[in-house]
Amino acid sequence: MTIRRVITASLVAATAFLSVLSYTTVANAGGVLKIAREQDSTTFDPIFTILAPDIWVLNQFYSKLVRDNADATDVIPDLAESWQVSPDGKTYTFNLRSAVFSDGTPVKSSDVVFSLKRVRDAEQSIMAGLYTVMTDVHAPDDETVVITLSSAAPSFMSTLAMFASAIVPEHAVEAAGEDFGQNPIGSGPFILKEWKRGNKVVLEKNSNYWEEGLPKLDGIEWIYAPNDNTRMLKLTAGEVDAATFVPWNQIRQLQDNPKTQVQIDKSTRMDHILINHNNAPLDNKAVRQALNMAIDQDAIVEKVTFGFGVKANSFFPLDGMYYNKNNPNYSYDPEKAKAILADEGVTNLELDFVIVSGDSAHEQTAVLVKAQCAKAGITVNIVKMEGGQQWDALVAGEYDLGMMWWVNDVSDPDQKAQFVVSGDEENRSYYTNYKNPEVTKLVNEAALELDPDKRKQMYYKIQSIAKDDVHWIDLYYSPFRNASLTSVTGFIQNPLGRYMLTTADKQ
Amino acid sequence: MERFKFILFRPLQLLPVLFGVSVISFVMVRSIPGDPVRLLLGTRATPEVAAKIRAQYGLDEPLMTQYLLFLKNLFQGDFGRSIVYKTSTFNVVAERIGPTVFLLAYVLVMAILITLILSTWAARRQGRLPDVIVRSYSMVGLGLPTFWLGIILIMQFSIALNWFPTSGYGESVAENLYYLFLPAVSITLALSPVLIRNLRASLISEMESDYATAARSRGMSENGIYFSHVLPNSLVPAITLLGINFAWLIGGTVVVEQVFSVPGIGQLMISSIFARDYLVVQLITLVVAIAVIAVNFIVDVLTAVIDPRVHL
Repeated sequence: MTIRRVITASLVAATAFLSVLSYTTVANAGGVLKIAREQDSTTFDPIFTILAPDIWVLNQFYSKLVRDNADATDVIPDLAESWQVSPDGKTYTFNLRSAVFSDGTPVKSSDVVFSLKRVRDAEQSIMAGLYTVMTDVHAPDDETVVITLSSAAPSFMSTLAMFASAIVPEHAVEAAGEDFGQNPIGSGPFILKEWKRGNKVVLEKNSNYWEEGLPKLDGIEWIYAPNDNTRMLKLTAGEVDAATFVPWNQIRQLQDNPKTQVQIDKSTRMDHILINHNNAPLDNKAVRQALNMAIDQDAIVEKVTFGFGVKANSFFPLDGMYYNKNNPNYSYDPEKAKAILADEGVTNLELDFVIVSGDSAHEQTAVLVKAQCAKAGITVNIVKMEGGQQWDALVAGEYDLGMMWWVNDVSDPDQKAQFVVSGDEENRSYYTNYKNPEVTKLVNEAALELDPDKRKQMYYKIQSIAKDDVHWIDLYYSPFRNASLTSVTGFIQNPLGRYMLTTADKQ
Repeated sequence: MERFKFILFRPLQLLPVLFGVSVISFVMVRSIPGDPVRLLLGTRATPEVAAKIRAQYGLDEPLMTQYLLFLKNLFQGDFGRSIVYKTSTFNVVAERIGPTVFLLAYVLVMAILITLILSTWAARRQGRLPDVIVRSYSMVGLGLPTFWLGIILIMQFSIALNWFPTSGYGESVAENLYYLFLPAVSITLALSPVLIRNLRASLISEMESDYATAARSRGMSENGIYFSHVLPNSLVPAITLLGINFAWLIGGTVVVEQVFSVPGIGQLMISSIFARDYLVVQLITLVVAIAVIAVNFIVDVLTAVIDPRVHL
């Protein structure tokens, strides 16, 4: 009879369990902003990562000397109250404000020196290349830091505003070594309270934060919800206060829902098609121009982004530093494209278009491109690959066309220009193998030009030549879109993708 | 005596299997195109930095050297460092095992209860309405994809009715019973049909067997026959089937953890494969292999306990 007893006991247990269920509810703490996001964090050490989900969180832990303003068009004071630049643009002197790290120790100029040398010299510092321009960093006294550059670098202030320039306490890093990224200490608005990988990162207000009356929130919870549908459902069910990366096709629905709002923020993200200039006939500028004319950007903006994207006319981010809104663009003209191809003696042009499978926006774009190109007599074969595999194909040059996107790390355009059009050996213009000596020269000169007006003219010229050469095909500028409950205010992302959570609030 | 020998020596058979699993997972995860360092750094790091990281994780060594090093470290209880999380692989995997084990146990309890109840209900009313209902359920259940079912359950019970959270993981056992209810239901609905069909069929054939007829002729009650003879005799194939399905069950949790954002090893496995975090993928594969072998071992022992005729 034992089995019968087991069954009875199980039924009793099940009943008890169901009654427990009806009493459990999801607790909603006041003042803590719960954000569901699509990616998980890996480390909070500012020099060992370049992943957006790490940067979103670690920015809340640290202060830097200077930081980007909300629209990333200029830098504003952070730990440095003020600064002076020598007339030759090579010596920067920063005066620090009094601030403390979250462990209670004061932020000293020696910590700043340590942090900046660390990002330049540490073995695995990912962004080290941007800091080698610093020949010397030293602290004449506890409140002053002097940085000397090997040459004038107009982009240097934006580099200092970048996440990797975060100021870390020397004693804590020395003590923790490589594990500092698991237990970060900084002088930012929030501190790390708890981190459960794959689940959530819990942040608590830093009561020692130097900025009066901030942050407004008591805490933040970053909750990992990789599935797009699940993430949006969590928001509509009220389990979280906000959700990142709203799929294009759900924006209207969330806007129409009286409980939710969608924040659409200008970004430096743009989506584009890489062209492999090494593969004939794509080495022919006229053929590339024909290809560009065969692609209908308006249709892609309308169908893929539901009209929320903006047609791109330059490889510079929309309304970013030195972006030229009047940069010429190709208009959609399949007939003309066909005629050019005929003139160039190119028949039966067949191109392999590598895209990442599972990225629905890119898959839709590829289907549209294929149909549009067919009208100009170009056959496009869509080759779907897994992310890492696509990257390998791009680096190895085993592609004709490749779908890609870019978000700036810094507001200054030098970094992107170097990577995308200068044609250096390492990146070969983002693996397109595009090289135009005139552009290379302009990029290198603009990097050193201290006169903003002259620099602007140089970048305008670069944008226009690159467009004429069709180094790649600009598709659309893609705004950041985050959804939140209507009770949430100030949940915005700046154009570099940073969440401005110090001033965010919840009613 | 023989039984003890089995229990003592069977775990030794684990070693060659684990060796095979370690080789296969090592080779397979590395033969996926894609470079972990490039995925980690993107385009914006200098080649020098990439080279240093590659060297630190031994990725610049020949495959054979890498494997031998992996084995050597394994014997010293060192599973290496995760290139993504920059901490010990063991920690990364260990902190994710809890949710998966909880979910699996939850599913097993649910599936066993449902199977016992529904099979009994159907078998004892063979050909009548309950039987038809249970048989239709097993047909439909078999055809439902788990991820789709998961989303439907979320839409219905979390959004429309607001009875359960859409996803996530709780802090205590009671909370977890609540958070993991829908994930467990969606796997159970996919797992139980196979078990129910099997148990129902065994029950029916045992009920019609000679010993049951003999017991009836002795005037034993139907309930008595059922619980003391028919059910125990039918359990052996059901338990074996459950053991065989355990590997499938783990596959099911990988999918469900993704849909319901459960921070278990299934979700870690997927993200680690995408990031080519080789050592994490290898360790999870080993853990899963050990779990499957252990469960089948337990099933063998249980079978022998239930049915004395079974020799191990």
